[in-house]
Formats: sequence, structure tokens, C-alpha cells
Amino acid sequence: MKLNQAMKDALKIVGKGGVVVHLTTSSLDGNTNTVGERFITVFKDEFILIADMFAQKTRVNLNENQIGVITLAHPVNGRTWSFKGPATILQEGLPDDYEFEGLKAVEALKEWGNWAEKEPPSEVPPDIRPPVLVQRGVIALKVNEITDYSSEHAGNIINTEI
Amino acid sequence: MTKLTPRQKNWLEGTGAHIGTASKNGNPTVIVVDKATVINESTVKFILSAKQVQLVEKNISENPRASLGPGGIGSIRAAYQFKGKASIVGNELFVEVNEIYSTKPGPEAGLRLDNLDYNDVLKFESSRWADDGPPR
Repeated sequence: MKLNQAMKDALKIVGKGGVVVHLTTSSLDGNTNTVGERFITVFKDEFILIADMFAQKTRVNLNENQIGVITLAHPVNGRTWSFKGPATILQEGLPDDYEFEGLKAVEALKEWGNWAEKEPPSEVPPDIRPPVLVQRGVIALKVNEITDYSSEHAGNIINTEI
Repeated sequence: MTKLTPRQKNWLEGTGAHIGTASKNGNPTVIVVDKATVINESTVKFILSAKQVQLVEKNISENPRASLGPGGIGSIRAAYQFKGKASIVGNELFVEVNEIYSTKPGPEAGLRLDNLDYNDVLKFESSRWADDGPPR
């Protein structure tokens, strides 16, 4: 489903330290992994891309169980949003015609395969940014479901296509 | 037995966590709780709303595992992931932490901390971060 403009804005802040989300994946037998991610963008309205900076356990999970949940962690400002859907890692070397849920790998990697060049993380304080932004590809999640994670409304579906 | 450091305790208590659970077949569900209480050396307690209990009680009954990533500004400053055994009593979620990882971006991302000597973990933390918890 397509993200609305407020969601795109919330997931994409250039400068000012940017945005942080948590990405949760799971092994097939239910061992979850929840890790903060900083290099994020919305691609073609319904995909969320994250720079894959050698997220080992995330990769192991996605290799066997292609589903993920992205929750907005900071800044939140009332935007208590959770995005869930099929997820994978796209990496150079895939066949030229490789697609994931309609997303062409070559298009995603052409635009976001070199995050350091496209959006250098110079505004991120040195004690929390990686010493070198080494990227292996992009984690791609197609948003199929958006819910509210606030305690009062936890799990309520948010429909962006009314 | 895993022992949380003062810094880990302060961040978990101050900013809560994004809590990952999953069905026994690996379908994940995440809830977010903005505060917590560390009740002993390794157990974190979260107070859930009725809707949050509904979301995760089935997962936890069939698969009592959870992963925790600090919330809010903790997602930036407290680069840890905690994993452990989850249980629900009423509206209280308990996670007995048995794995702790550094998620600090860079060469030490994914480093397991809980199997290091406790004093070495304290040294690791003090050499990499200047704070001992969220701003007060």
C-alpha cells in the first residue's frame, strides 16, 4: 500500500541527525531480531529501503523468512507508526531482471546502492555514526500493512488510501 | 546468568523498548512501550495496555522469546539489542534477558556482550559512550 506524504516525511529527514527506525525480523521458528537503522528512504511510494551495512542476523532471518516490521523510533512526535510486509536484501550481482514484489533490484540499487555518495552522513554526530559507511546493498520492505503502535490504539490499521 | 549494566538499565527504564515477538512460525509482531522497570539483574518489566496484551499474548504463549531495541532517543544513543524469555502476567510483560548485543554501527555491530566478563562490558561501554543513561 502507498505511504501518505506525512509518512514519507517522517521516514525521510535529511540533516538534523535524520530518522531512526527499528527493523524487526524473525527466523522461521520465531527468534526475532530488533535493530535500529538510520539510513532510510521511501522508494516508489510503497517500499521502504534501508542501507544494508552488514546486518548479519537480519540477513540470516530474511534469507529464510521474508517478512519484516519497521517501527518509527526517533523522532516520533505522535507518529506511532508500524509498517509491515515482505522484506529482502537486494545486492549487486543479482540477475538484471530480478524483481522483489514488483521492485526492480537494478532501479533500487542504482539510486540507493551507494548511500554515502548520495547522502553523506556528515550531520550525524561522530560518536554514533559508523566510522566508514560500508554498504552491501539495500534492505527492501514492501509495505502491506500500516498500524498504530501507541499503547491506546496498538494494532489499529491505518488506511492511507481512503 | 546475564547481568545488565547500570547504563543498560538506565536506558531501558528511561526510554522503554520496541519489543519484537513472533508466532511459532516466525510471523513478527512489534509493540512499543516507552518505560520499563528492571526488577533484578536481568529481568525487565513492561506495563502493557489491554490492546498491547491482545497483540502479543498468543505469540508469547506459543513462542516465549522477545527482542528489545531501546526506544526514542535510546534508539540512537543506546545501541543495544536485548533478547530473552518473555512471559505475561495480567498486563505485565516480563523479559528475562539472556543475550545482549552491541548494535553500534561499524566494526562492532552485532558484538555479543553478555558472555564477556562483566567488568570488560563496563570498560567497553565507558570507552565508547560518554553517558550512563538518558538525559535527566
